[in-house]
Amino acid sequence: MTSRCILQTALLVYFSTTVLAVNYDLLRFQLSSSSVECQELLLQLNGTTKDCLKDRMNFKFPEEIEKSQQFQKEDFILVTLEMFQKTSDIFRRNLSSTGWNEIIVKNLLETLHWQKEHLEEILEKIMEEENFTWDDRTLLHLKKYYLRIVRYLKAKEYSICAWTIVQAEMLRSFFFLDKLTDYLPN
Amino acid sequence: MLLEVTEDVTSSASGGPQTMFALLGATTLVLVAGVPWMLPAAAGGTNLKSPQNVEVYIVDDTFILRWDGSSPSVRNVTFSADYQTLENDTWLKLPGCQSIANTKCNFSSLKLNIYEEIKLRIRAEKGNNTSPWHYVDSFTLFGKAQIGPPKVHLEAEDKAIIINITPPGTKGRGMWSLDSSSFTYSLEIWKNSSSGDRRTETVYPRDKIYKLSPETTYCLKVKARLLPRKIGVFSPVYCIKTTVENKLPPPENIQVDAENRIYVLKWDYAYENVTFQAQWLHAYLKKIPGDNSDKWKQIPNCENVRTTQCVFPKNTFRKGIYLIRVRASDGNTTSVWSNEEKFDTQFQITLLPPVIAMKSTNDVSLRVYISATEEPENRAMNHPYPLTYEIVFWENTSNAERKIVDKRTDFTFPKLKPLTAYCVKARALIQDEKWNKSSVFSDTVCEKTKPGNTSKTWLIAGVCAALLSIPVVVYVMKLLCRCIGYVFFPSSKPPSAIDEYFSEQPLRNLLLFTSEEQTERCFIIENTNTIIAIEETHQTDGEHKKYNSQTSQDSGNYSNEDESSESKLSEEFVHQETE
Repeated sequence: MTSRCILQTALLVYFSTTVLAVNYDLLRFQLSSSSVECQELLLQLNGTTKDCLKDRMNFKFPEEIEKSQQFQKEDFILVTLEMFQKTSDIFRRNLSSTGWNEIIVKNLLETLHWQKEHLEEILEKIMEEENFTWDDRTLLHLKKYYLRIVRYLKAKEYSICAWTIVQAEMLRSFFFLDKLTDYLPN
Repeated sequence: MLLEVTEDVTSSASGGPQTMFALLGATTLVLVAGVPWMLPAAAGGTNLKSPQNVEVYIVDDTFILRWDGSSPSVRNVTFSADYQTLENDTWLKLPGCQSIANTKCNFSSLKLNIYEEIKLRIRAEKGNNTSPWHYVDSFTLFGKAQIGPPKVHLEAEDKAIIINITPPGTKGRGMWSLDSSSFTYSLEIWKNSSSGDRRTETVYPRDKIYKLSPETTYCLKVKARLLPRKIGVFSPVYCIKTTVENKLPPPENIQVDAENRIYVLKWDYAYENVTFQAQWLHAYLKKIPGDNSDKWKQIPNCENVRTTQCVFPKNTFRKGIYLIRVRASDGNTTSVWSNEEKFDTQFQITLLPPVIAMKSTNDVSLRVYISATEEPENRAMNHPYPLTYEIVFWENTSNAERKIVDKRTDFTFPKLKPLTAYCVKARALIQDEKWNKSSVFSDTVCEKTKPGNTSKTWLIAGVCAALLSIPVVVYVMKLLCRCIGYVFFPSSKPPSAIDEYFSEQPLRNLLLFTSEEQTERCFIIENTNTIIAIEETHQTDGEHKKYNSQTSQDSGNYSNEDESSESKLSEEFVHQETE
């Protein structure tokens, strides 16, 4: 009777730890599918016939993310959270010159927000459980990158060309996000 | 000439001590005069210490540099600071921190990228004296920044308080210009009358605090938080009194359930004869400070409903997070809006059971294939969810079940009993700590195992062995027969050895008992000279050994004597014949 009890308790503990742990498979799946959705939506935003070559800009996406160096999973979540948050912030700015379909933009914002909420929950959970230290530098570089984009938009007065360049840049950042997601450990 | 020289020498010789004294006096004078002039310079080096405990203190858009000054006895000391960015190697004057008499200065007018790494240095100055520089380790303005208190505006309802939070910092620019919509707010609320019972909640910038009592004064304070690490200071305390209770309360306990292709929205309401109206909003709009009241949209089939539930199709909502609110109306008055219930479409998916197929393989095992159903339910934008499968496997006749939970879709159950039926069923699971979903079990599939490769090989081996063993068996049987024949049916043939040793016929006849009596013709010899042809007949029949009865009777005497005489006689005759 006791040994059965012990076995059941052990099984319960084992299963509860597996259940309580963050399901990284599910996270990876969610991130990939969110990224694909966002990219599809971005591509649906109409291009312009104007010649925007002169407005091109090198926003200098952070190298360490571009080269997909392997991050700790906490850093990874921070970085992806920042990317989803900031992309969402950018697309809430003045889009009047673009003539883009409002519904597509709303869907994009919705998808970005959805993924961001889930990442926030996971991050809060990790922070509760473990006392981890993370590298501020990567996050700072990422913030600098998005500041460059916002300053560019402001300087160009949210013109259609500026938005076209930014649209392309956001697509590029999702590409890097995909590569980074592949490195997420199991 | 000589005299002049000697005179000069004498005069110089006598004036020597006098010159020395004069020189000594002048030096002393210079030294005495010079000491107060020189000493301050030396003392200034020891008096003007560089500032200690230099600290950068940043709250929102206010940048303050603080330090411990030199000893208070030294007056008229000012401080100056410089800054340097990593890109530019030159030290620039820190605005607002030049010739400061206090021990702190405000350099908020510095126009710099808040994410840029900078270094500071500060020193004390008095007149032309300066202390050595004290260097501050490199930092970023954003990194050092702390979140200040947010501003709060309150509006009272009967059982709720509407709050409107203005994020800290300057709108549109400054430290939090990019992060203003990333803030999360934490609120503490308590009844003014009682000191205990403080409630803490996470709130949106524009939100409602529910479950309050009417006509009560509540006090609250709010702080902002920025992931990962920045926690701000609390705002000042704000107090407000809730209003008189409304006649019509709002609906409560809002729930959304999913069924196949529809959502069922349910709520609780105490009164009857009212109609209800349900609205939805994109949850992301709540994170943006500001008024969203015009952005709420009507949920289809949920306007002016009389029941405490309404049904609408799943495709109303794209994958995302939404807020739903309901209010009641009795024609004259309308209740306030209910609690805004968060609704995440992902949690409402219905997992459909997987499709399983089972095949028996040659080595008495069964292989199970699981494939996800093709229904769009199990997919998010055409991507199938990462599912775990729970497989239940049992022998058809018994009840003992084996359960496996795994992500793989291809399983083999080896080493089963041959020619036995086994059954399997499976269901799909999503295991996440917040979200446990499982489908119903799939249909049961049964399959019988094959007779087994090993018994076949044994059969073939047996057959071969049998074939090979036939000649062996025959040979053994033959030997056996011979043995038996030898034992039970012995041969009457003499061994060949006897033939060698006893080649003479008569002797042989003696030894071997023949069937027929041997007869000898006897002749009476009347004339010793004539030799009559003798006929001897003797038959030797090896097979028959017959004993002459007559001779046997008289065997004792007769045979002995006659035998010897016979033998002699026969010998003689033989000799005679041969001669």
